[in-house]
Amino acid sequence: MSTQGDTQEKTEDLASPLFYVDRPWITIVWDDPVNLMSYVTYVFMTVFEYSKERAEELMLKVHTEGKAVVSSGRREEMERDVQRLHEYGLWATLQRDDQ
Amino acid sequence: MSSASGFTRHGKNSFIATFGESESEVLINLSQQLIEILAERIDGQPTDPLEAMVGFTGHDSPPDDEVLLRLLPNAYADPVDSSEFRRYTESVLREKKRLHAMAIRSHLLNSEKHQVALDQQTAQAWLGAMNDIRLALGVRLRVDSQSHEQLELLSPDDPMRGVYAVYTWLGWLQGTLVDALMNDAEG
Repeated sequence: MSTQGDTQEKTEDLASPLFYVDRPWITIVWDDPVNLMSYVTYVFMTVFEYSKERAEELMLKVHTEGKAVVSSGRREEMERDVQRLHEYGLWATLQRDDQ
Repeated sequence: MSSASGFTRHGKNSFIATFGESESEVLINLSQQLIEILAERIDGQPTDPLEAMVGFTGHDSPPDDEVLLRLLPNAYADPVDSSEFRRYTESVLREKKRLHAMAIRSHLLNSEKHQVALDQQTAQAWLGAMNDIRLALGVRLRVDSQSHEQLELLSPDDPMRGVYAVYTWLGWLQGTLVDALMNDAEG
């Protein structure tokens, strides 16, 4: 989520092909007219152990912008996150972070 | 549909709700439907017994049914990646969701005077299943960000009116459990 982190990642990409391979994957949650706002906040707190403030911020981003990146890391980790979010009925996908 | 106070927290690890008889019946019925919807797909390839044992069902195509597709969504925009992911995960996801719905049904069937007391763990199952039922009803009602006003204005003889009433009631009920759990997390 932090732009600072993204910039660092880009610099590392240029510095070494190894980091290109390790370029992170991201989990995206998409807006859904059915899911309750409080429920989405609660799921972010439970799945990611985010603070209530961070979880609410992400929930509002999903709600107002249509989607939000909720986690990033290795592909296997993101697949696990997506799986857990699907268990809770959130509409989540993962992809390579190409921003 | 008349309702009491929804879920309220009692102490550290108890969340209690008392339902009316018809509310309990509706919830049991919807849970049963969810369990049936989530039953193993019959449209896939024959299942290898060994694969079945370790949880692979070989289903790698998205479900045709709109409701199932919402409950078991694609994990990737890319269809090839999505199929691969589905092949190894869908049966696990399906089974978890079935267990959630079974928890609601068995709690209510075994309740005295339609009162249920959940702990943190069973509350998760209820939350998941209530949400899945609402997702399923939402697909049937064609709920989108614009449709709530139209749904409020359905005529009394429209069969969707009753469905919408259940949908909004379940949303309220789910909200009371979320609030009770969040208060617990803060306390």
